[in-house]
Amino acid sequence: MNDARAIELACEALELASAAGAQTAEASVSIARRFHAEARDNAISKLEASTGKGLFMRVFRGGRKATLTTSDFSPDGMSDAIRRAVAQADQVAVDEFAGLPDVVAGEAVDLALFDPRIADRDGAEKVDDAIKLERLIREADARVVNSSGSNYTDAIAVTAIANTSGFSAVYSWTRAGRSTGPVALDGGVKRIAHYGTAGRYLDDLEAAGSVATTAVRRAVDLFGARKPPTMRVPVIFERDVAATFLDDIFAAASAGNVAIDNSWLTERTGSRVGSELVTIVDDGRLVGKLGSSPFDGEGVPTQRTPVFERGTLRTFLYDTYYGRKLGAASTGNSTGGGIGPNNFYLEPGAMSLEELIAATPLGVLVLDTIGFATEHASGTYSRGARGFFIENGELAYPIDEFTVAGQYVDMLANIDSVANDLQFDATVVSPSFRVSELMVSGN
Amino acid sequence: MFDESLLSRLLDRALQHGGEYADVFCERRRTVSYRLQDGRVHDATYGVTLGVGIRVVVGESAGFASSDDLSSEALMEAADSAALIARTAPSGKTAAAELRSENVPNLYDCDPVTAIDGARYAALLERADRTARRYDPRVVAVNAHVVDELQEVWIASSDGRYVRDCRPLVTLGIQAVATDKKERSSGYVGDGGRTSIAYFDRQTPEMLAEDAARIATVNLSAVPAPAGEMAMIVGAGGGGVLLHEAVGHGLESDFNRRGTSLYSGRVGERVASELVTIYDDGNLHEERGSLNVDDEGVLGQHKVLVENGVLRGYMQDTLNARLMGAQSTGSGRRQSFRFAPQPRMCNTYMPNGDSTVEEIVASTQRGIFAKSFAGGQVEIAKGDFVFMVGEGYLVENGKITAPLRNATIVGNGPDAMRKVVAVGNDSRLARGHYTCGKGGQNVPVGVGMPTVKISSITVGGTQT
Repeated sequence: MNDARAIELACEALELASAAGAQTAEASVSIARRFHAEARDNAISKLEASTGKGLFMRVFRGGRKATLTTSDFSPDGMSDAIRRAVAQADQVAVDEFAGLPDVVAGEAVDLALFDPRIADRDGAEKVDDAIKLERLIREADARVVNSSGSNYTDAIAVTAIANTSGFSAVYSWTRAGRSTGPVALDGGVKRIAHYGTAGRYLDDLEAAGSVATTAVRRAVDLFGARKPPTMRVPVIFERDVAATFLDDIFAAASAGNVAIDNSWLTERTGSRVGSELVTIVDDGRLVGKLGSSPFDGEGVPTQRTPVFERGTLRTFLYDTYYGRKLGAASTGNSTGGGIGPNNFYLEPGAMSLEELIAATPLGVLVLDTIGFATEHASGTYSRGARGFFIENGELAYPIDEFTVAGQYVDMLANIDSVANDLQFDATVVSPSFRVSELMVSGN
Repeated sequence: MFDESLLSRLLDRALQHGGEYADVFCERRRTVSYRLQDGRVHDATYGVTLGVGIRVVVGESAGFASSDDLSSEALMEAADSAALIARTAPSGKTAAAELRSENVPNLYDCDPVTAIDGARYAALLERADRTARRYDPRVVAVNAHVVDELQEVWIASSDGRYVRDCRPLVTLGIQAVATDKKERSSGYVGDGGRTSIAYFDRQTPEMLAEDAARIATVNLSAVPAPAGEMAMIVGAGGGGVLLHEAVGHGLESDFNRRGTSLYSGRVGERVASELVTIYDDGNLHEERGSLNVDDEGVLGQHKVLVENGVLRGYMQDTLNARLMGAQSTGSGRRQSFRFAPQPRMCNTYMPNGDSTVEEIVASTQRGIFAKSFAGGQVEIAKGDFVFMVGEGYLVENGKITAPLRNATIVGNGPDAMRKVVAVGNDSRLARGHYTCGKGGQNVPVGVGMPTVKISSITVGGTQT
């Protein structure tokens, strides 16, 4: 029912844009029902349920572009907002590259993005999901004295896109997740850990027991953590931390950043950047995965794009605009307003994380980082971290309050082992990997 | 747009199954923005956020629902959804009190934008672009954006409060990218506040662009940051990010009511060097983090968080204040009508101490001078934080020497605050461009600080 409604709203918006003077336009409408239950102390502490709509629109007039976002779907509200957006285009410079995409998605492909079990799930069952997880973290270890909450979330949604060239398409999707944040008391110090799972299907979620165990272990295993010595050592990035590193690689490989001179990967296409083990792929067509969709934010079919192949940078990731500007075809990475990842991941290797640790005589295992990249021009990586010091292939003692730092380009070149623990529990994911040498800064 | 009788009916409906408190937050926000790259205006955006969020509080639990459909059926349905919490966590019935309209002060001049003067925004961006490129031929790219936003809110609560507020917010952000063929670096400067676009007649795009270009070109000759423990001097203004991360978040009342913050239950205790005093202020004229009233309709306030090293109080929203037997401090904030409020910071800063900048630098044998931060993050249970230095220098033998490349600082909140050994007499608020993220919600905030010296902290560079 929402499929038809979303298409109808997108088409209405296109008509209003034409009436307001736009020569071409594109409208994307999403309608999503979202649910969030948070439990604490065996009781429900937060219950949120809402249906939300959003219109995102690009309008073109005389080679100039303007953009509109609105949650006001009243007839007056919609036409007023669209009129203003079209008028705003007048201040924008004429840009030969602005416009609708040349190629749009044809036949519908079913990527299995919708789980009817999530759509039909009873509210009480969802609440129990959160309460059960909260109970499990407290049962898992007596040292868990508190929590920042255990959560179950889901979304049932449709996304529709239409443009004035006659294209219109829609797909439905679901997403569910569970997450928790146990707090354990380590003498006078509170140690919190966060861990969660997410997927398009209820059955894809990691079981509550396993989520609880991992979250609790991450809190209590760090008991007694101290600063490591300042030194250059091999560093293993556990898969969640590895994924945040891949976020930064994505940002640097995004044509939007390359085009504005804000990427350390600029001018490196075709050259060897990473080690032999670095094959990084953006793939929008993986069946049932969180980053998959039949078409991107401007209706361009998604695809599988190898970005790095055995260390060589093959391509940046493009939408239509930056593709035209930099002389490439869109790779199906438009978010509508910018460039975003589909399923963006590092190809896994053969050994387990345990084997990788055992193969590391001296080094550091990073389990968690804080901080984020604020600019991508210089290509410097530096994060606050916690994890373990590794001696003789074993986790010797927990460490925290240290940083790990280096240049992205050196880090990619020095990846000397990749583990087999890749899981598609987000759009940007990675298996654990080891960098042969990095600066660890502590005492 | 949202009349009192509709809000009253929604409150009654929200409390149909019981509950101790309910509120309705109605929002209409209009955002105009322009973006420049490659020397020309590249995109213009118009945005509208319109909808209603309804919340019911039962003990420690809250039910929340929002609607972007303003028909009374859809709003009643949202009230029904929010009311479900009172079935899950049963409580006694409360009747909504009759609404009393309250006047609010005016910290910002607010002329609703009816006509959009696009040429004015475009001119600001073009002036920034010209200035940054003229500053130095090594500046090869300038990316800039200007945002002009007006948020109107109507807030009603079951204890009878009914307030309206109209909040302007302008921002101008400029990134300059410089290269000398060998190195590539960038500098970012943003400014703005809760006022009209005329703000940039005073804080001109030329001033900001020149600073962005200066940072980008200075960073070209930057040396890799050192690694290990050393002294840190935090620069006036932008250094306030340190307070925001190292102390501020840990004093938000939700973490303290739940006992997950390291500062839980420690009001009256010594938590920092006696040189440390920290305020959070919601009612500074035109500042980015200021609020006439917060998103629960409570007046913006001046709060003493830490005084001479002693913890004085938390930042409270109504839910947590009620459970802790305290009063709201006007700290309940939300990203939009789609979110329930959380206790948040407004403008967090440290007032003046006695030292001069010269004395502080001269007293430092080896360390770094973090003039500004590009961002930070904290983990509130143990208090570990990081922040990324935007503009930083080495300090050697009492003198500021080479610029540093992308240093990250890691530390622990109480530990760093105990090690504050000097506080400068040059306190000021940073330029208004900071946005704080918490629990998936972003809100504009301000930070401020005098020059401060911390005797020892871990610098996450690559050089030993």
